[in-house]
Amino acid sequence: MAHQVTDQPFWNPKTELMAREDLAQLQLAKLRRVLAWAKARSPHYRRTLAAVDPDRIRTRDDLARIPFLTREEWMASQEAHPPFGELPVTGPDRAIRLHTTSGTSGRTPLRALDSRKDWSWSAEMWCYALWGAGVRPHDVGYVAFGYGSFIGFWGLHNGLEKIGALTVPGGAQTTAQRVRQIHDFGATVVASTPTYALRLAAEAEELGIDLVNGPVRRVILSGEPAGSIPETKALIERKWGAQAFDTAGMTEVSTIVMFTPAEQPGGCHVIEDHLLEEVIDPATGREIGYGERGERVCTSFGRSTTPLIRYRTADLVVRVPHTATTSGRTWDLYQGGIIGRVDDMKLVRGTNVYPGAVEAIVRGFDGVEEFQIRISRPGDRDEIELLLEPSTTVDDTAWALLSERVGAELADAHEGLRFRVRRAATGELPRFELKARRLTDLRPAV
Amino acid sequence: MTTTAATTPAHAPRTTPGGAPGDLLGAPLDDAERALLEIYDRIVAALRRDDLPPCVAANLRAALAPVAVAVTDLGLRFEHLTDLDV
Repeated sequence: MAHQVTDQPFWNPKTELMAREDLAQLQLAKLRRVLAWAKARSPHYRRTLAAVDPDRIRTRDDLARIPFLTREEWMASQEAHPPFGELPVTGPDRAIRLHTTSGTSGRTPLRALDSRKDWSWSAEMWCYALWGAGVRPHDVGYVAFGYGSFIGFWGLHNGLEKIGALTVPGGAQTTAQRVRQIHDFGATVVASTPTYALRLAAEAEELGIDLVNGPVRRVILSGEPAGSIPETKALIERKWGAQAFDTAGMTEVSTIVMFTPAEQPGGCHVIEDHLLEEVIDPATGREIGYGERGERVCTSFGRSTTPLIRYRTADLVVRVPHTATTSGRTWDLYQGGIIGRVDDMKLVRGTNVYPGAVEAIVRGFDGVEEFQIRISRPGDRDEIELLLEPSTTVDDTAWALLSERVGAELADAHEGLRFRVRRAATGELPRFELKARRLTDLRPAV
Repeated sequence: MTTTAATTPAHAPRTTPGGAPGDLLGAPLDDAERALLEIYDRIVAALRRDDLPPCVAANLRAALAPVAVAVTDLGLRFEHLTDLDV
């Protein structure tokens, strides 16, 4: 009788271990077909690819001949040709799913259509990540997610099922109900955003549920860069007594594009047989080398209905070669996962402030439940304030020490810039189930 | 019942130097890959029939999607199937 090979460490050994020269040829072969497909069928790409001959894309250097796609172009197309714009190759009659971006940025969400194959592919990308993290058919996976039109963990849910794990949809529940289900159903794998993983852990403490000594072995994170911020990741692992694995993707792709392998190299493998990723200088648009920070540009081979070709994601990444990990895969990595957004850097009195860098410092301290960064200009000078909500066990003496040390570390990391650290009352700061928004810039727009 | 004929651009499978069917890089297929590709081709062919009752057509479409993903995973074939509603 046939049986599933569960001791195989790779979901797809053929491509995960493929020689890089072959991988490059495979990507180019797929790219030529995606270009031909999109140019023939999508009104948008018919225009933008008019001067591109797919058959003449023979090397990676030829990518520069293909125009970028920006979110603004996609949005403009959607507004000019509602409801889906001119990117799709077909109408909704041939799609089976409609999902949107999260809308957490305050912008109008993008809408994307998927066919049956697209949707199965979306789950497949999660399978690479789940299997690579050690998830197997005997696992019980709990998905702490609201199951709305935002794509979120839909693909992970389907990926768990595809692997054969027992899959528990944790939608339409309070946090307390979710914690009880995780406990009662013996979940061994939990999926959530990093912020929500901490909230679940805090709720478990209040309910007297011991997560650390419970059955959860893996926490699969997505939706925020924090899954690769070492301090946040370590905090989650401590609170859950489990290993945390970062993943990242976007609705525009319909799924994830990178994942932390079991070896925990401090970064994420790019799923290079199904995606072609470039890292560019956001100012010049030119591809940059290993180890340099730049903007991630994504081409998806898997989404047929809404092709995505050279999409400027605005994600900041640092690409490093596959040799940076001992996982055995030949796929390159993004060191530190997604380390920020091109547009999330704030300039405060001449000093660059990245929300991710602030989070890395704040999460290095015990006793912090939540935080918010607020930038304002009360007079002629910028001010930056950190609101910290400590746990209820932090008394006045401990708070004085905590706030002083956090303030000192923030100043050290920001060229002496003084953050005003203020205590927030218990429950004052917002909690997030999806993408956390912890920076507010109240300065007048220039 | 009428199904739509596929109009996906034809991409002839690569062949090995010896003329046998190969994967997208021209490498020869092993037994498991040949078996997978045969299943894929047979479901595609079945879906091109116009005499399938809805229960058969719908389930074949649902079956073809993950098979097509596996075929692409292994780099055996790469084509989109929206014309078959897959």
